[in-house]
Amino acid sequence: MTDGIKRRDFLKVLGVSGAGATLTACSTEKVERLLPYVTMPEDITPGVATWYTTVCDGCSAQCGMWVRTREGRAVKVEGNPDHPISGGALCSRGHASLQGLYDPDRIASPMVREGADFRSITWEEAEALLAQKLDEAGGRSLFIGGPLGPSMAGLVDDFMESVGGSRVEYEPLADAPLREAARIVFGVDSVPRFDIGEARFVLSFGADFLETWLSPVEYGKSFAKMSAVDDHGSKGRFVFAGPRLSLTGLNADEWVPIRAGSEAVVALAMAGIIAEDFGDAGPYAAMLAEYDVRRAAEVSGVSEDAIREMAHRFASEGPSLALGPGAAGHHRNATAANVAVMILNAVAGNVGRTIHFDAARGGSASRPYGDIESAIRAMASGGVGVAMVHGVNPAYSLPAASGFADAFASVGFKVSFASSMDETSAMADLVLPDRHFLESWGDTSPVSGVMAIRQPVMQPVPHFNSKQTGDVLLSVAGRMGRGMGAATFYDYLRNGHRRMHGSDAEFETAWRHALKKGVVVHDGGGQGAVPALRAPDTALAFGAPTLDGDGDLTLLVYPSSRFGAGEFSNSPWLQELPDPVSKITWHSWLEMNPHTAEAMALRDGDIVTVTSPHGSVDVPVWTYPGIREEAVGLALGGGHTGFGRYADGNGVNALALLPAETEQPSGALVTVATRVTITPTGEHRRMATVAGSDDQHDRPIAPAVALAALGHGGEHATEGGHGSGQHMELQGVGGFVPMAAPEEEVSDRFPMEGSRHGEYGDRENTARWVMAIDLDKCTGCSACVTACQAENNVPWVGEQQVVMGREMQWMRIERYYESVDATHAAPLDVRFLPMLCQHCGNAPCEPVCPVYATYHTPEGVNAQVYNRCVGTRYCANNCPYKVRVFNWYSYTDAVPEPMNWQWNPDVTVRENGVMEKCSFCMQRVREAENRAALEGGRDLRDGEIVTACQQSCPAEAIVFGNLRDPESRVAHVVANERTYRVLDDLINTQPSVNYLKKVTFHEVASGEHA
Amino acid sequence: MKKHWLMGGFVGVIALAAAAFVQEQDAPVAGGDSPAAYPSGQPIAFPHNQHAGSEPGQNNMDCMFCHFSAERSVDAGIPPVSTCMGCHAVIPGTQNPQEIDKLRNYATTQEPIPWVRVYKVSDHVHFPHMRHVNAGLQCQQCHGQVQEMTVLNSRAPEWGGDNMGWCVDCHRQSEASTDCSVCHY
Amino acid sequence: MATSRERGALTHPDVHKLSDVNRDILKILSRPGKGWWMLFGLAAAGVGLFLVSWGNQIVNGIGESGLNSPVGWGVYITTFVFWVGIAHSGTLISAILFLFRAPWRQSVYRAAEAMTVFAVMTAGLFPLIHVGRVWHAYWLFPYPNSRFLWPNFRSPLIWDVFAVTTYFTVSAVFFYLGTVPDVAAARDQATGLRKKLYQVISLGWQGTDRQWHHFGKAYIFLAALATPLVLSVHSVVSWDFAMSIVPGWHATIFAPYFVAGAIFSGVAMVITLAVPIRKVWGLEAYLTTKHFDALAKLCLLTSLIVLYAYLSEFFMAWYSGEEIERTAFWNRLFGDYWWATWTMLTCNGLVPVMLWFKRVRHSIPALFVISFFINIGMWFERYVIVVTSLHHEYEPFAWGIYRPSLTEMGIMVGSFAWFGFWFLLFTRLLPPVAIAELKEVLPPPLRKQSKEAH
Repeated sequence: MTDGIKRRDFLKVLGVSGAGATLTACSTEKVERLLPYVTMPEDITPGVATWYTTVCDGCSAQCGMWVRTREGRAVKVEGNPDHPISGGALCSRGHASLQGLYDPDRIASPMVREGADFRSITWEEAEALLAQKLDEAGGRSLFIGGPLGPSMAGLVDDFMESVGGSRVEYEPLADAPLREAARIVFGVDSVPRFDIGEARFVLSFGADFLETWLSPVEYGKSFAKMSAVDDHGSKGRFVFAGPRLSLTGLNADEWVPIRAGSEAVVALAMAGIIAEDFGDAGPYAAMLAEYDVRRAAEVSGVSEDAIREMAHRFASEGPSLALGPGAAGHHRNATAANVAVMILNAVAGNVGRTIHFDAARGGSASRPYGDIESAIRAMASGGVGVAMVHGVNPAYSLPAASGFADAFASVGFKVSFASSMDETSAMADLVLPDRHFLESWGDTSPVSGVMAIRQPVMQPVPHFNSKQTGDVLLSVAGRMGRGMGAATFYDYLRNGHRRMHGSDAEFETAWRHALKKGVVVHDGGGQGAVPALRAPDTALAFGAPTLDGDGDLTLLVYPSSRFGAGEFSNSPWLQELPDPVSKITWHSWLEMNPHTAEAMALRDGDIVTVTSPHGSVDVPVWTYPGIREEAVGLALGGGHTGFGRYADGNGVNALALLPAETEQPSGALVTVATRVTITPTGEHRRMATVAGSDDQHDRPIAPAVALAALGHGGEHATEGGHGSGQHMELQGVGGFVPMAAPEEEVSDRFPMEGSRHGEYGDRENTARWVMAIDLDKCTGCSACVTACQAENNVPWVGEQQVVMGREMQWMRIERYYESVDATHAAPLDVRFLPMLCQHCGNAPCEPVCPVYATYHTPEGVNAQVYNRCVGTRYCANNCPYKVRVFNWYSYTDAVPEPMNWQWNPDVTVRENGVMEKCSFCMQRVREAENRAALEGGRDLRDGEIVTACQQSCPAEAIVFGNLRDPESRVAHVVANERTYRVLDDLINTQPSVNYLKKVTFHEVASGEHA
Repeated sequence: MKKHWLMGGFVGVIALAAAAFVQEQDAPVAGGDSPAAYPSGQPIAFPHNQHAGSEPGQNNMDCMFCHFSAERSVDAGIPPVSTCMGCHAVIPGTQNPQEIDKLRNYATTQEPIPWVRVYKVSDHVHFPHMRHVNAGLQCQQCHGQVQEMTVLNSRAPEWGGDNMGWCVDCHRQSEASTDCSVCHY
Repeated sequence: MATSRERGALTHPDVHKLSDVNRDILKILSRPGKGWWMLFGLAAAGVGLFLVSWGNQIVNGIGESGLNSPVGWGVYITTFVFWVGIAHSGTLISAILFLFRAPWRQSVYRAAEAMTVFAVMTAGLFPLIHVGRVWHAYWLFPYPNSRFLWPNFRSPLIWDVFAVTTYFTVSAVFFYLGTVPDVAAARDQATGLRKKLYQVISLGWQGTDRQWHHFGKAYIFLAALATPLVLSVHSVVSWDFAMSIVPGWHATIFAPYFVAGAIFSGVAMVITLAVPIRKVWGLEAYLTTKHFDALAKLCLLTSLIVLYAYLSEFFMAWYSGEEIERTAFWNRLFGDYWWATWTMLTCNGLVPVMLWFKRVRHSIPALFVISFFINIGMWFERYVIVVTSLHHEYEPFAWGIYRPSLTEMGIMVGSFAWFGFWFLLFTRLLPPVAIAELKEVLPPPLRKQSKEAH
């Protein structure tokens, strides 16, 4: 495989692939060139996709990836099913890593500063220069980098040792307080493994484990497992305690809206209550006594009873699990809060049940912000001769007040190993373009016991003369006469792993296996034993943290589920992906409780000035019932100034409002540290939101069913669907028949009436493609939306077009509030509904199209023939689901080189003036059919065709398959008693997309509907 | 005389309509492979008949010897230079050796040969070669009598190109699916 | 005399001989007044705007409009329906009233027919303007093609294609035929190039009995042919909406409702055009208050029908108990587009009430103003139907707001100029009032003298 990569020169086959050519109506006189290989790599067939395994480097979770390449171009990334962490799924950021690879703003070549601007130089010169400067620096050099894989970390450390200097690890959103708490409470210097899937009662104190906390994809999976209705008809409960509902919070069954910073007292109070009733608090008994419920109620602003009830449930509905505040809740007592949560877990006896210390989260034990702080001091004091920055962007991701910019500027020689220009590299003297992780070698071990090799999936994008930092360091070391026993990082990597194996042969097999499978799992090094509680750290302050400023609103700065701390901001996919909570794209917004806004006479879109003691920003207001009245929320990731064409100028940088201060003792950056004042500017803007109404107006769109109302047994109890009233009702609608019905009956019902028009071949043995989406599993994380966009060449349209209501994603996650109440009066109920083309059996769009551009296929798919479309838009008008999107302009023309290299050659690129929509990933169906035909014309296997959205869903909420096959998985799921079809009772559209109602603990108003 | 005016008008209208219809019949929709563009615009004057022809003195090679992936992929595949050199390392070429020298040149400089594309369907049409080859179609049924051509002609009588009616005809005769989404997606 | 009066005969101090009629009408053709040139210049400029806006949209994409999802149709379709509506009264006045022998039509029908033809010409452009790929618009016509592809005859848009093209053909022929004798009259006076032109157009008309005989026959047949179109065309247009499932569109009342609306707006437009014509060319002799009175009554009647349709729509929405339907109509009255709805109700329901009064019906200026209100109201009626129904549909999360763009406005305004452009040309080239038929209704005494006139 590695040979294949070495030999592949995909530049020479671009002509072969159909991608990038747009659907042009008028004939153009361009002469197309066909460029064959000079020598054919044996692992490539033109027109057939080749898959490679690698590891996502988007965040510290390090999910396993499969990368689909066509003629040597990476066109799609997917989760690696063999990988224990991602388990085959992937988040939006992971999908968007492709746009990082093809980012037109990547650096074209090494550059050296000349006065105000840069001059391109060769790698030769660059490395020589760096070597010389390092010599001059004489041991006073500094390397600032993000978390690195084992080998790379080892290399850098060796390098810094040999040239004299130190490495500083900096991760903007590291969960240092959590790690610190683990050390304080259990004496373990690592983040334990939280087994959400095992728990039956999960209590999150602001840990956004579905978005940004530790390992979102992994937790997305286990959360689905936890909250699903099991065979005994029960489901796990999830309570979210915090001042603001993040996406994770919106998925909770209950919201306990405690004040920011009161996590510790509440957790301790709960622990105290539990200790009284059930056993002892060990060494913490004394401490718990101080923090009784009354105090907790005062500090947190929720009633004592609420806390008591929560405590009792936490103890009785076990196994339970409490999760401490993550980066969104890093106030000045964050460590204390995490300690308190750990104590709560310990008292409730969760350690060893839902919290494990085997396969603990490894990585470095650094104090992320603390180290960078000292580094800044060192730089400021002139103690640094050469400062190298790799893979991080502190000039942006540190608060302005940290003084990084000045300190960095003062360094004699500044080197940046960035793959694309950012705020930091803009200040550098020497810029050495790094490879994107999809082009480079590496290894990773996010969790002890899991090791994966990161391999390049394609030749480096030729537009950019980049070089992997590892290789640069090695050759520089060579120049300085300090060889490190390897010419290239690839060798260094292999040498490192070679040591773990006896014989070469053994190693080679192991190596190939690792590359093929994408991961090696050996039983975790970490001890499985339950560590004993250590004596309490009396230095910790558990009370409410101090807040700067005298404003009356607490500012909650939280990492964006799209941009993290801003490192993903230059991806148009992510920029245009509606934020899972606010549904706003491109720009920033200030979350504010409707009552607060009302009091200040503010409406959505009114631009206000937010002022803290540390700075101020102008940002439009978005009223959100999911945030406490005395708090306002602002996401990270906006307000870039020198990061790229898609990031710059969008939104504001929330860090401008924060102090440059570390939380002690963990040394994490504080994100909840200040109060702010809001002053209206009088200006107003139309927001780039995709949300129409947040209320489903009692329409049968996203109904729910109370757990009690379920015919006990959930998933498979009602196979064949008979007996349940819900099912009987369905039978009345459009002749919908579950697969338990006799075959012939089915075959004469599908395709349905109204879908029999047109000229078809033999209808009997065609498949009947349907989809089932379980709303009880869907968390609204929106990974499917980006996956779909990547798979189907769906263009982005830009902020202005979104404002006009022209967003083009084929999927949208509708978000309806049933009850969201910051007063803790009503149970939390938010409905997420992935809306895509319903492929109606009786489709309103079909009869109205004057030219048959949309019609029904024998497989029951509602097809859209782009090249036949004239663009009357009648179909979109007549579509009750509003899932048809129109190419108002030739948006695809605006896609710059080399970003268009990502285009999927199997999907037509649409032009100006045509309608488009979800095709049920027709290209994947055809691909599978072709494969089956090549394999002796066998039948398609169930599960052989996986749509892009289904593939990326961490919760496995989406199932696609052939309803004609009684044994297919989708047939079983559809037969569930919770199955319904949106608006079908009303307008008899007979959709092929079947939804399974969300299951709530509380009684749902009028059972069926809303 | 006034009648003439009218007559003229009618004739004109009919002529226009007819023109529009003919134009519709086979309008190349995309890709600029108009035959006029390059009768011999190829980097190397490659004579298909010399290789694939069955006349005496011709080599009667199977198409898929060079277009290797036609039976297992959607793309027929353009032979890598190495394939050409496989034979031409030893075969100097009788008629016009200078062309072979060009080839050797590409091989030595490790440059791909910039062939000019002759056969092309629009980008909104998906044509899986292997499905057709494995269904027993002869290459000639679409590409014309290539083995008799020195210079390929994308307007060879058999070549359907972007004329969808031509595809549909065959699909009907061979009872293949005429569902739009078989080719358009 | 008396009998002729009942037959609606003209009596006017200035008109003594049939030749006077020729004189009065034909002088219009001879005199390019300054006012005409100004209007014509204005129209030409408007046409320029129209073409520039459209060209810009074709080059850059339909995105130049303000349309979006969910509002896929907007000002373009609104204006399309508006112009088709305008077209109707022309045929009504010329064909139907002809069949019913309504005597007062003679002096207005020529202008009305011209209006019909030009209005359809204008309307016909809008389906082209609003499609995303106008260069493929011909796919909507059924023509033999190598792909074995036909248009989808289930689609109301296809019915539309047929309805509008048919209507244009018939009304154009009907209009042309009607002008033949008058053009002949003009020919006899004209000179030079103009004469040549008229010779062609008048098809060698000599006014012989045989010709008159055939003419009469043909005219009746065409009138009979055109009559059902008045009802069918706008019914079909209404089905563009009624056949869909969009709340606010999907209603059985649409066909009659649209036809009435069409005649309503058409007649209003006739008044709007007739008043200035009468003034500019001094046709007071032939366009008397009694004509305007008749037109006003027609307006009043149709306005009542339309108002009834509005009310019954709201009533049915409530009576059906269908929640989504109710929301749609509530939103129509009090939603984001309330202003459009209330404009419509005021202009089409309230203002015409004044026509109950004879004094109003007989005051030309009053009618002129009222007709303007009606035109505006009827444009907004279509705007309300198209936009408010679409922007709040079934899926609340997909609700959206539509704001017309400058391009759309340019094209909409330009379409009026385009219409005016042709109409002005018409008034210069063809007798805008039917000379021959006027003569028919002249009082008998004149007939005798007229012997030597012809």
